[in-house]
Amino acid sequence: MKELENEIFLEMVHNIQETYGYIPEREINQLAEKFDQPRAKIYGAIKFYSMLYTEPTGKYVIRICDSLSCHLNDSHDLLLAVENFLGLENGETSPDQLFTLEVVECLGHCGEGPVMMVNDRMYTELSKGRALEILKECQ
Amino acid sequence: MVKERKFLKGPRLRDVSTYDFPGLKKAFSLGPDQIIQQISDARLLGRGGAGFPTGTKWDLALQQQGERKYMICNADEGEPGTFKDRYLLEERPLKVLEGLIIGAYAVGASHGFIYIRGEYTEPIKILRTILEEAREEGVLGEDIFGSGFDFDVKLVRGAGAYVCGDETSLINSIEGKRGISRIKPPYPIQKGLYDQPTVVNNVESLACAAEIINQGAGEFAALGTDNSRGTKLISVSGDINIPEVFEVEFGSCTLNEIIEELGGGVRRGKEPKFVIPGGLSTAALLPDELNCSYSYEGIESAGSSLGSGAIIVVGESRDLVDILLKVSRFYMDETCGTCFPCREGNKQINYMLSQHRNKKFTSQEVELIEDIGEAIAAAARCGLGQTSLSLINSIFAKFSEELIEEVIQVD
Repeated sequence: MKELENEIFLEMVHNIQETYGYIPEREINQLAEKFDQPRAKIYGAIKFYSMLYTEPTGKYVIRICDSLSCHLNDSHDLLLAVENFLGLENGETSPDQLFTLEVVECLGHCGEGPVMMVNDRMYTELSKGRALEILKECQ
Repeated sequence: MVKERKFLKGPRLRDVSTYDFPGLKKAFSLGPDQIIQQISDARLLGRGGAGFPTGTKWDLALQQQGERKYMICNADEGEPGTFKDRYLLEERPLKVLEGLIIGAYAVGASHGFIYIRGEYTEPIKILRTILEEAREEGVLGEDIFGSGFDFDVKLVRGAGAYVCGDETSLINSIEGKRGISRIKPPYPIQKGLYDQPTVVNNVESLACAAEIINQGAGEFAALGTDNSRGTKLISVSGDINIPEVFEVEFGSCTLNEIIEELGGGVRRGKEPKFVIPGGLSTAALLPDELNCSYSYEGIESAGSSLGSGAIIVVGESRDLVDILLKVSRFYMDETCGTCFPCREGNKQINYMLSQHRNKKFTSQEVELIEDIGEAIAAAARCGLGQTSLSLINSIFAKFSEELIEEVIQVD
């Protein structure tokens, strides 16, 4: 891919996503032009990364870690409670576009599990009750 | 009683204007050859998991010719159970930045990157502020501290791909490509980012380098054992009373002492069923194997490896199949998909594990899993694939009575 002084592809797509909540097609077209690449290459690169979206997500992206250390701290119970409360399974977005739920691998807070991320914010050592309170505050 | 040996740990260090970068100033007076000599004399091994000698890496990079050279800090910490780099990024980020600039000066790199996992939102904020302040204070930019050396650093956020912790995948990712690994050779020090000589060092390795230059190679090399010098930041988690980041001198204690004395013992007064000594890519150790010295060679002699220093304790009442499925799902989700035995193999193994009958498997099934694991290890380009079955195989080998069903012969 063409090297552009001062322009890093991943940073650009992160910034686009921060503006629109996802990476719209017209932005992909512009990236293709800018980096002198076919659109498929740009799509291919974006689709590789689980934190990048080419479709709108919910206003709140809820990420729950169910990797081994968190799992040993009962993250699965937390996940079931959140799934039940939101009526969503892994990867789904609520019809009102308020929540997207994702089960993810390690968030790097393995000593403080179970953990849940709401957009950019990390909540650690969560009880089920506290997690549902946080979600209710989002509603 | 085991005590921490604080070589890297210390009070919060995030204010650029009040920190005088003693290691960096010393580095400028030493010059590149002397810096590399110090790092080599200290016998620092890369702390990301692979354990390659940092001095050798820098020396090889110094000898390379290129239009420009790149120096990259690998802050894509993603190995489940590992959170020691986050400690450094949140509490001691100036030591990491100092190590990065020292390394760049030593190898002659003009451009630097910190590649940090996108989920680390707090460390990202901290680093953004620090880089900004470092430019204002003349710690980054042109003619740093009047040395004539120019260097600047860009922060690049990853986006949720564990495999980007592999250095060639990380380089592809910065280039804006899918984060898949590259075939080696050429190694990154020969042809890395944008085909130029590139050094990729782990966060902890860079903090070590800054302290080695600051405190002296002798100070560092005097710690630890012959083959494992210095200290190691370990992340302790799982069924443990005190899950935290500790810093231990290599060889000063056993794994068991780390768990009992630093970690406060297994939760709820239980015994460990097994312990994972270095993250999900390392073999499990049984309670009677935990009296090994905590060092590269000590853990190896017990039959596993030190990896990233992520110690995960699994308590006696845990369900093995549940754990096997967790581990397997991780590799199935995180394989980059380039080497097909890794992509398909890890998926098939996850399927096979889900087909247990009452938490049991036949010995043929276990053999098949081992076979697939061998194929993955032989074919995989990067560490993810090569080690993806280490833990699963070790659990089957060490708990065969619990996991393998007896076949009843019918005449």
